[in-house]
Amino acid sequence: MDSSSFLPAAGAENGSAAGGANNGGAAQQHAAPAIREQDRLMPIANVIRIMRRVLPAHAKISDDAKETIQECVSEYISFITGEANERCQREQRKTITAEDVLWAMSRLGFDDYVEPLGAYLHRYREFEGDARGVGLVPGAAPSRGGDHHPHSMSPAAMLKSRGPVSGAAMLPHHHHHHDMQMHAAMYGGTAVPPPAGPPHHGGFLMPHPQGSSHYLPYAYEPTYGGEHAMAAYYGGAAYAPGNGGSGDGSGSGGGGGSASHTPQGSGGLEHPHPFAYK
Amino acid sequence: MEPSSQPQPAMGVAAGGSQVYPASAYPPAATVAPPAVASAGLQSVQPFPANPAHMSAQHQIVYQQAQQFHQQLQQQQQQQLQQFWVERMTEIEATADFRNHNLPLARIKKIMKADEDVRMISAEAPVVFAKACEIFILELTLRSWMHTEENKRRTLQKNDIAAAITRTDIYDFLVDIVPRDEMKDDGIGLPRPGLPPMGAPADAYPYYYMPQQQVPGPGMVYGAQQGHPVTYLWQDPQEQQEQAPEEQQSLHERD
Repeated sequence: MDSSSFLPAAGAENGSAAGGANNGGAAQQHAAPAIREQDRLMPIANVIRIMRRVLPAHAKISDDAKETIQECVSEYISFITGEANERCQREQRKTITAEDVLWAMSRLGFDDYVEPLGAYLHRYREFEGDARGVGLVPGAAPSRGGDHHPHSMSPAAMLKSRGPVSGAAMLPHHHHHHDMQMHAAMYGGTAVPPPAGPPHHGGFLMPHPQGSSHYLPYAYEPTYGGEHAMAAYYGGAAYAPGNGGSGDGSGSGGGGGSASHTPQGSGGLEHPHPFAYK
Repeated sequence: MEPSSQPQPAMGVAAGGSQVYPASAYPPAATVAPPAVASAGLQSVQPFPANPAHMSAQHQIVYQQAQQFHQQLQQQQQQQLQQFWVERMTEIEATADFRNHNLPLARIKKIMKADEDVRMISAEAPVVFAKACEIFILELTLRSWMHTEENKRRTLQKNDIAAAITRTDIYDFLVDIVPRDEMKDDGIGLPRPGLPPMGAPADAYPYYYMPQQQVPGPGMVYGAQQGHPVTYLWQDPQEQQEQAPEEQQSLHERD
């Protein structure tokens, strides 16, 4: 349910790079809040269930109290989201991240929330990491977060420029491979990928080690993406993440976002920020 | 920090909203002035000048007892909130299931995107929001229930939520959601539940008994009935039904 709902939303956001179907999705997505009043509030059953967890057994809740809490929750989401979005715009970013949400809460007085939610996010990422280790979601996992856009973009660019060299690099050192991918993504954004510069420069600037469990599963996906890249550069970039994320809608959407940013040049502005987070 | 300092001004605000109840419980001067001005002809005015020293001593006792009661209440509520956050942290550390969320992520995302300025949302943001909203609902409900208990009710009502919003600074952004009528009703509602306990358990709670002697009880009851006859009639039976268990609860709380 959640997976399927995320896919059209992400596709809608990339309407400029995708076909008419995605544009149609965009129209539907934007129209939804205005049409369905129910979508404006959290489901009342979920809200009541949560309320009862903190109330004594004999407590009763009036109907107007239930509705009031529903309204308060939606207002809370809009309140925090507004502040988080302002931060994104100031920093010229387009994707609201979990960190932006936590930052907004701290800024708006919800300091007590930051520590438990930070712990929750940390544990959630550990959970996702474990799932990633299985190898079933290697393509989707990196693109679930905005920070990983360069990661999903890199393999196609690398293989397009130098197939044999990339193949050689993949085998001995996964670490170098990852760095070169990141750097290639930056060059891809500027549309000028120098053949020799990326490997050495990337090695110095971005010492970001990846888990060894990523090596074997990841080695195959770039090859598959490479085949698509040979056919059409941008088209291949758009399709490769889709194949990798076939089991997860959000992964496919994230990959599409990465592809659409690079041709427009906005990718160049977007990419440096994920590095800062690391 | 904020929660610990918040209850005191909040109580002040709540007390200020209710002119009758705190006036009879707090400063002696405030108790004397309103009756004299409002109803000079009433017989209740005469006892004041007759025994000024005695009244002063009684006022001091009442004030001290009321002060102790409110301090205990604030301490209890602060402890409840501290316990609340400890439980949240423990709950999160014990979380094992990250697939099922208590609130639907799709709905959260739709609400986020209702703002046209919002462009893209990372997959982790709705996940964090799902947990944040859960904590938000729990905390707001807990603070609202505190007000329900103060009024000796068992049904959490909209005006309880209004009171919680008024007392807590971080909830300022919610002020528009709760109409002002609820705020006024909160002020008026506070003394209403207090009336029956004043009469019935007078021996058990001396500081409730004293104000009744000094303030014209019949007049107050009559005024309350005129203002909110339906509400008063509805609450009176509830108070009678809950009298015994409340006494037990009160005694238990004091221990």
